[in-house]
Parts: sequence; structure tokens; C-alpha cells
Amino acid sequence: MKKLISILLVIMLLAAGAAAAEVEEGLLRIAVLYEITTMDVTETSDDYFVPMNVYERLFETRPSPAGAQVEKSLCTDVQISEDGLTYDFTIADGVVFSNGDPLTASDVKFTFERLLKVNKMNTDIPSEVAGSDELTGGTADSLSGFVVKDDTHFTVTLKAPNAGFLAELSSPVMSILDEKSVTAAANFGSDPKDTIGSGPYVIKEWAANDHYILEYNPKWRGEKPTVTKVIVYAIKEAATQSTKFQAGELDLLDLQSLDTMVVEQTYKTQYADRIVEVPQAGQIFLAMNENNEFLKDINVRKAIGMAIDVDGIIAGIYSGNAARENGIIPAGVWAHNDQLEGYSYDPEGAKQLLAQAGYASGQVHFELAMDSNAQTDIQTVYAAIQQMLQEVGINAEIKSYEHSAYLEKRRTEGIDCAIAKWLMDYNDPANIMYTFFGSAENTKQRSLNYPDTEVMARVAAAPAIVNDDARLAEYQALEKKIVREDAAWIPLLEGRHLYCMGDRVQSFTPQWAGFTDFYVTDVVLK
Amino acid sequence: MLNTFVRRLGQAVIVLLAVALLLFVMLRIIPGNPVTTMMGEHADSATIERMTREMGLDQPILTQFFQYLLGAVRGDFGTSYSLKKPVAELMGAALGNTVKLAVFASLFAWVTGILCGVLAAVRKNSIPDRLFMGFSLLGVSMPVFVTAMVLQYVFGYLLRWLPISGAESWTSFILPAIALGWNSAGSIARLVRSTLLGVLEEDYIDTARAKGRTPLGVLTRHALRNAMLPVITMMAIQFSGLLSGAVITETVFSINGIGQLTVRAISGRDIPLMQGTVLFAVTIVILGNLAADSLYSVLDPRIRKGG
Repeated sequence: MKKLISILLVIMLLAAGAAAAEVEEGLLRIAVLYEITTMDVTETSDDYFVPMNVYERLFETRPSPAGAQVEKSLCTDVQISEDGLTYDFTIADGVVFSNGDPLTASDVKFTFERLLKVNKMNTDIPSEVAGSDELTGGTADSLSGFVVKDDTHFTVTLKAPNAGFLAELSSPVMSILDEKSVTAAANFGSDPKDTIGSGPYVIKEWAANDHYILEYNPKWRGEKPTVTKVIVYAIKEAATQSTKFQAGELDLLDLQSLDTMVVEQTYKTQYADRIVEVPQAGQIFLAMNENNEFLKDINVRKAIGMAIDVDGIIAGIYSGNAARENGIIPAGVWAHNDQLEGYSYDPEGAKQLLAQAGYASGQVHFELAMDSNAQTDIQTVYAAIQQMLQEVGINAEIKSYEHSAYLEKRRTEGIDCAIAKWLMDYNDPANIMYTFFGSAENTKQRSLNYPDTEVMARVAAAPAIVNDDARLAEYQALEKKIVREDAAWIPLLEGRHLYCMGDRVQSFTPQWAGFTDFYVTDVVLK
Repeated sequence: MLNTFVRRLGQAVIVLLAVALLLFVMLRIIPGNPVTTMMGEHADSATIERMTREMGLDQPILTQFFQYLLGAVRGDFGTSYSLKKPVAELMGAALGNTVKLAVFASLFAWVTGILCGVLAAVRKNSIPDRLFMGFSLLGVSMPVFVTAMVLQYVFGYLLRWLPISGAESWTSFILPAIALGWNSAGSIARLVRSTLLGVLEEDYIDTARAKGRTPLGVLTRHALRNAMLPVITMMAIQFSGLLSGAVITETVFSINGIGQLTVRAISGRDIPLMQGTVLFAVTIVILGNLAADSLYSVLDPRIRKGG
């Protein structure tokens, strides 16, 4: 028995030695709940970590004290015609991909055309270019609105003016691909050796459902970052991520998926000086289907807005790690209106409105549909809102749908009411306004069934307003009309995204956007 | 005996085909659309409908099923919707970790369970008996994720002896194997104790003692050998269960195995991956039962002779 114990102890000590091994210089270790499914942006609207760090775009959206700013990246100059239709681009000379091939205007054109030819998702931005319909429809071989002049100059002609076009080009979706390596790849997006970009990192290894590794690209034109290697572990259990971080096995922890109590009692106390936080660049709101027999009544919708104690939700469920939203365009996004008046919590006023609508005795009832994948905080908000509505006499029954069934029901049959979340992909109000109110198809697809076609036409036309002041005024007017006058959207809150830096990290600047991915160059190691 | 084995094998194939058909139909009639899930928020209805056609999901279920069977015979189980890779390749990559975890967990369960069970039986009603049975009761009753997290905290975080998660080295499998194997060890220990106590009261044990066999000889050559029959059956079935994927353990310890792949398939409505992982699990359980039956007949001459 003693011998057995001795052997076990030796094994444990050996293992301890392995576990406590020195961390490689320049290495950043992070974890994600859901690992990437592809490295090809035509196939995903979630997996942006590889595109953001392996590729570059013509522009990048960067955080700044004055708010998120669109900055030039591969593009060194752009001239826009007076009518806002034609963009003359100049890209940096001498940029090379990690395989040594030069990045030229032809690669940019290839990137635009490929999104349209693959035609799965993320086609919105290249679809704005003249000739995109012909290319998608198969009546043209190339994108006529994209003219390559030489290796560093090209012209893009849009179908209609879009003042947010440059912001759109900063989206990870518009990562510039290497035509040669993509064309030669048998299954682009799944093999690291085909994933050739001009960004600061190259992807060295991807073990599906386990981890992937990025390494510094010595051919990158920027200053060498302190992080020269990144290991991204796929760890689906948030508590395991937390334990690993506390044991020093991770260098940066995304606190978003952790229980609020753990964040408050552990991280905000023991690691208070290591926490970095940013607004989430998105919002949680109440989506109501105007085809529903009760929700089509504006007084009922307004009563719902008045029945919800948003400040109570922020204090009670989010422990203050969120800010109230009164409009559609979230704080931190261009055209956000912080002067917009929100709903006051007024249960008595809500009851009066219901009585005016003829529902004084609790007749209003509908289904509060919930996606089974909803995060714990959202599930708690569901319960809180159900309770608040009950207090004014509205019976909202929470019904949980399996994720796929939820999406399909919302798209086809329609759901009555749901707590929804939208995170911004790029810094332009069109990203949220057009998605929900830009067309009858869009508003139906998300079960809003907003009926005002005139407003929808204005939302669709707003990007074409070239003058920034006029566009700002139009978006803010539209937002006021939809939220305050029509009560078609009940704004709730914008969460704050918290990260915790490990001992090896000196500083970290999170990406401004709604998605959780970030630029690794924004992490500085000690 | 060969006839019995062939008959059982034939039954297993029929069960497998029936499960495959049932699974195939069920996955297609439950609410939801895999294409909508796959495309997420950024695709319109026209694109979703076009993709549904391109993926052949608008064809009759039976047509899809026979196409699937034809592919499966050739080793082609389709391509995962969410991971965009062949299902066979994904399962091949995950299988190694699941096998390692199953082997480590089984070894832990077998050694610990049999030792505890034997020691508890020979020291019946003593303090060691109560301690070992307490240990096994804890293993049987404690949820795996609780055991896993306690082990991670103590050995990974506090003592820093072992990795908290991952599957990079063999040491990474120690904690998950204990978390997973403890439950099986508890069942084995209790079964060994009860069957051994029964066997120790048989007449032939008294005869062996009367013949002058040492207590250890009586225990190992007579009592344990007979008491192990039901235990071996249980071990074979438990091993096949572990091999078909330890969903919770693999998730908590972040081990890329069949269990974790199954979770991913279900949460992403990834039909090809779900079919692959579930059929694999069913196959392993059927084979495990087949092995247990065969082993039992090998070990027990009465069954071998058709008794």
C-alpha cells in the first residue's frame, strides 16, 4: 500500500511540474465558449476572430475617447463623388499577404465578387455595388460597378448613395482575401494553410472543437505586437474558464458568460483593478408582433412600455452593469440620440391606457416566446417582465422554444412577443434600423410586422442622404416616430461587456462592436 | 455458441437499421429548420429556401434516407452543417479522446470498485466496510458535474497538480477519469460486495476451506471467480456507455470527444452530425451488450451449453 501511495505521489509531482511549466514569452491564452466553425466570412456571421486578426480591411472601426471612429487601413485615400455614388480608392503600396504575394486592387475586387458568387450570407454590402444583381443572377461574370485601374487604384460605383458605406467596409465580413490562395483551395475556410491574409497574424493550427493557434506574421506592415502567439481554447463551460483563469492558465477572460453573482463577488472584488469594460454596442429590447390581436393596439404597446421597470432590471439583474436605452440606435453608435425621452415606469398609467383600449379587466394575453439558447440574464429578464406585466393586468405566458424552432417560427408563422438582442456589426445606424424596419420582408422576418410602409421607405432611403447632418436628423426623426409615436419597439438596455486581464497582461482595449471578438494587437503583454 | 453469436449479430444489425430510420425521420419532423439555424440572423427567406433546395432537404424523407444509407455504406456520413467538415472526419478526430477517457475511467472504476467491494465484503459490518460503502454511495449519488468541479478546484486550482481542462497530455485525463469513473466504481463496489457475500455463504466455499485452502486462496480462486460473473457484465455495459460519449465530463473538462460533439450537434440542429454521433452511440451500446452476452457465456459453462 505504501508503495502504491509513493508511486501516486511521484505521478502527481510530475504532473504538477508539467502544469506549472513556464509560460512561453509572447503567448496569449484565451478561451471561447463556442469555437470557430469556419475561417471563411462568406459562411458565418459569428466567427470573426480569425478574419479580424489574419486579414485586413480597407477601413477599421476603432475605439476612441470621442466614440468609435472609422479609420483608414488598407485604404490610404478615398474620393467620393458629389452624388455619393462613386468612390475612388487608393490602397497602400507594397502590402503583401503572409505568403509573400502582393495585395492588389484585383484581390479587393475578388473579395467583393466572391461574397456575391457564394451568395450565402453577408451579401448585403457588395450587393450595393452596381452590377451585383447581374453577377448574382448569373447574367454577368464580373461586378461591373467595380473597376480596377491598376494595382493600387480602383473605383466602386454604388446603385444608390450610401453615406455609411465606408463604415460598412470596416466590417470583418469585408476582409480582403488573397485571390490566388482562395481559388487554389479545395475547401477554403477549413484549412489553415489556405487562410492567407495580410493581417498581423497567421493561423498555424486548428483542431476542430478543441483549439486553434495564431502566430505573428513577420510580413505584416505594422509594428510588431507584444503578443506573438495566441492559443484560443474552446471551453464550453464558463465555470471551467473561470477556474483556469484564476489558476493562471488563461491570460484574458471574457466575463460575459459568467454568472452575475460570480462577477460581482469574485471578479469585482479580487480582480477589481484588472477589469476592463465597454458598452456592448447593441441593445436588448422588447419585440412585439403587430399582427397579434392585442399588440396591434398602440395603447396596449405603450402600456407595456410603461409597465416595465427598466431601471429595476438594470439594478436587480445586471447589478448596474448596463445602461438604459430609450431608442433603437444604441449608445456608442453614430446617430445615437441621448436626448430621446424614454418610457417612465408608471404601472397606474399603464392600467389607464389598457382601460382606454377596452382591456380594463385583464383580457390582454399573449405568448412571450423565448429562445432556449437565451443567456441566463435574458431568461431572468423574461421572468421579471412577465411579473411586471402581470401587475398591470397583462397575462404574458413565457414559452421556451428550442433554438432552431424559435428561429423558424419567428421567420414563418410569427411569434407574439419576445425579448430580443441586436449587436452592431458596424458603426452605422442602418445596421439596426434597416434590419428591423427597412422593408416589409425584414420586419416580417423578425415577427414585428410593422405596418407603416412610408416609414419603411424612409428607413431604406436614409443611407442615401449624403449630408451627415441631414442623415442624422432623419435617423433621429425615424427613431422617434417608431419608438415614441408608434410604440413599435420597446427599448430596454445596453449591457456592458466586461473582461478580466491576467497578471501577464499590461493593457487591453476591447473592440467597440457588439461581437465579442477583438484585435489581438490591442492586447499588450508585460 | 457460434450460432447464438451470429443470431445476436443479425438482431443487432436490424436494431441499428431501425434506429437509423427512426432517428432520420424524427430529426426531420421536429419543429425548426436546420438551414435557418445554420444561416443565423444574416440571411433572408429567399436565401434560406435556396439553400434548403441545394442541400436536398426539400426531397422526400425516404429518398434522403436511402441516399444517407448509400453514403454511410461507403463511409460517407455527410458533412456537418455547423463545422463544415465531413462527419466521419470529425468523429474520427474526437474518437481518440473518448476512447482514452473511457479506458482511463474504466480502469479507475474497475480497480477501485473491485478493491472496495472485496475489502468491504471480507470485513463485513466493520468500519472499513462502512467507509468503502460510503465512498461508493457518494460516487453513485453525486452528480458528475459536481465531482468534476470539485476535482478541478482542488487538484487544478488549489494544489496546481493537474490540468484543469483540455486533452493535451495523459495527465489531462486523470481528473475527468476520476469524475467519470467514480460513479461506475460505486456501482461495481456495491455489486461486488453483495454477490461476494452471497457466494461466501455457499457450501462449496466451506468445502474449499475444509480442504485447507488459505483464506486468500478461497477468496480469489473460488469466491471471487464466481462472484465476478454479473460484475463483468456490468463492466462491459458501463464501458460501452463510456465509449459512446461522456457528455457532461467532456463538456466540463473541455475534451474534444464524441460527447461534446453530440452536444454541439444538438444545439446547432446539425442533422448529419447528430445522426453520426447518435448512431455511433447506438452501435457501441449494441456491441457492448453483445460483448457482455458473449463474455457471460464464455465465463459461465451453463449458458455456453444452452442451460
